[in-house]
Amino acid sequence: MATGTLPSPGTEGGSAGTPGARARGRAPRTTVMAVPALLWYAAFMIGPIGAIFVISVLRWPGMLARVGFAGWDNYRAVLSDELFWSAVRNSAVQLAVAVPVMIVFAFMLGYHVSTKPRGYRLLRVIIFTPALISASAKAMIFYGLFAPRGMINYVLGAVGLDSLTHTWLADASTAFGCIVAIDIWAGIGYTATLYAARLSALPESVYEAAELDGAGHWRRMWGIAFPMVKDYVGVTVMLQFLWTLFTSAQNVLLLTQGGPGNASTNLSFLVYQKAFLQSDLGYSQAAGVLLFVFGLTGMLAIRRVFRQSY
Amino acid sequence: MTTDATATAAHGRRRPGIPLGRIAAQLCAWTYALMLLAPLYYLLVSSFKTNAQIFDSPLSPPTSLSFGRFATAISDARLDLAIANSLIVTVSSLVLVLVLALPASYALARAGGRTARVIERAFSLGFLIPTFAALLPTFLLAAELGLFQTRTFLILFLPATSLPLAVVLLTQFMRTVPQEVEEAARMDGAGSVTILVRVYLPMVVPGVVTVGILSFLQYWNEYLYSLVLIGPDEAQRTIQVAVPLLRSSLETDFGVLAAGTVVTLLPVYVAYAFLQRRMEGAMIGSAVKI
Repeated sequence: MATGTLPSPGTEGGSAGTPGARARGRAPRTTVMAVPALLWYAAFMIGPIGAIFVISVLRWPGMLARVGFAGWDNYRAVLSDELFWSAVRNSAVQLAVAVPVMIVFAFMLGYHVSTKPRGYRLLRVIIFTPALISASAKAMIFYGLFAPRGMINYVLGAVGLDSLTHTWLADASTAFGCIVAIDIWAGIGYTATLYAARLSALPESVYEAAELDGAGHWRRMWGIAFPMVKDYVGVTVMLQFLWTLFTSAQNVLLLTQGGPGNASTNLSFLVYQKAFLQSDLGYSQAAGVLLFVFGLTGMLAIRRVFRQSY
Repeated sequence: MTTDATATAAHGRRRPGIPLGRIAAQLCAWTYALMLLAPLYYLLVSSFKTNAQIFDSPLSPPTSLSFGRFATAISDARLDLAIANSLIVTVSSLVLVLVLALPASYALARAGGRTARVIERAFSLGFLIPTFAALLPTFLLAAELGLFQTRTFLILFLPATSLPLAVVLLTQFMRTVPQEVEEAARMDGAGSVTILVRVYLPMVVPGVVTVGILSFLQYWNEYLYSLVLIGPDEAQRTIQVAVPLLRSSLETDFGVLAAGTVVTLLPVYVAYAFLQRRMEGAMIGSAVKI
């Protein structure tokens, strides 16, 4: 399996020790074999990423319109736009709620699974299932659940909580909450699977001392298991942070189109909306650059937090 | 540590009283499991029901197992074409990513120079690039190449998004192949390509399978790029784009929509049923690589 085959520096050292002429004759020929992949990667990934920055300083009011130079105008327009700031607020709330809830519950679930409780095999299969569902299928499932006469309202009615029923996706007070709920719903299971795998790889002896101490479930989980995998938790926080920040445009697009009003417009959806629905390409990419910077800053901050104690 | 203590630790039976924490954890875990299963159950039973049945008794099992709604979904949204398109995109991209990544990772695993190290680093940094960010430039690139609204561009583009993972994973697998095996082949006069295909490929099959599984999941499930780059043209669009179009602004037939959604999920769950451990392993491994 992938995790078992870490690169061994010994192999490389061995290649350096082979007779000079042959090593020199071979090295260039093999490195050339990396060129097609590199070109592909540059053309379809690096190029477009770089283009975001270029387009963000262009005046480009539509796909077919004439392109001009705008300088900082797009950034000025973005930063003075009330909609941009409400999108920032939404994204911030989404991250502040979804990521911590997801990570804390996923860790508890992952730890629980790693202790091999009764029925853990079945449990592991179930919690892995959301990782397999595509964005559009997930959105369609929740479209049915959140529908005015869908399952959620039915269940609320059945248990006598009629007052809590909503037109979930069309109500400004609940629309964005639904988007966040979907993130959490799917995110816990997949992240827990990662933690369970990581924690199961720890040797049993790690818990021995605590066992003799009579430490309970809670203390063993947070006092022993968590510190052992803290840097790994940092990696998953970073992953979920990026996914939540960038990919939630899909759920918004499929379920609320940013509405009602702009109640569920977050940053990534704003970038999409300005580019493809309102054809303001310069604005969209200026917001895209800011989104990119936001993502990068957040990532570095998360790295710091999870490295600090070392 | 005595063997006695080790044994008790392993079984976790030393603590006196009722393990409240574990019971609470078990309760929470299964509550969450139920919350994952309930929507899937709802989806599945809905695909056999009329709207009235879905609204009035969403949780009861269907009264008849007629596949009429599946047929309606397939003919309404031309899911037959969409499935074919998705298969074409998925399989072609899969082949392309391997054709690009295998030689590259062989080269990176064997070349010890600085260039190779820089290239490998460039690929591993690619993990951190959120592909979504470049949606618009990619769209403009497609238009520039005259490939807008075609599957072709998606087939060229998708492998690029998974190249970082594929190259880094396969390079690690290639490094485990002993140098001596390659040297022996070279003595016999084999060239680099022959060595890659005859010597390395058979030894890195697990890596190829891992990359294959991850790419299959990613390509089959891809939505936003397919939507923007291919668009709603029936002859070209993929299944992920086609199914949401079963909604209607007037009155959605939830049974038909559910049936269409089940169709998109089937290939993935069937693959999971056969490759459970490998799929989990691949997904876990890919996250560790970052």
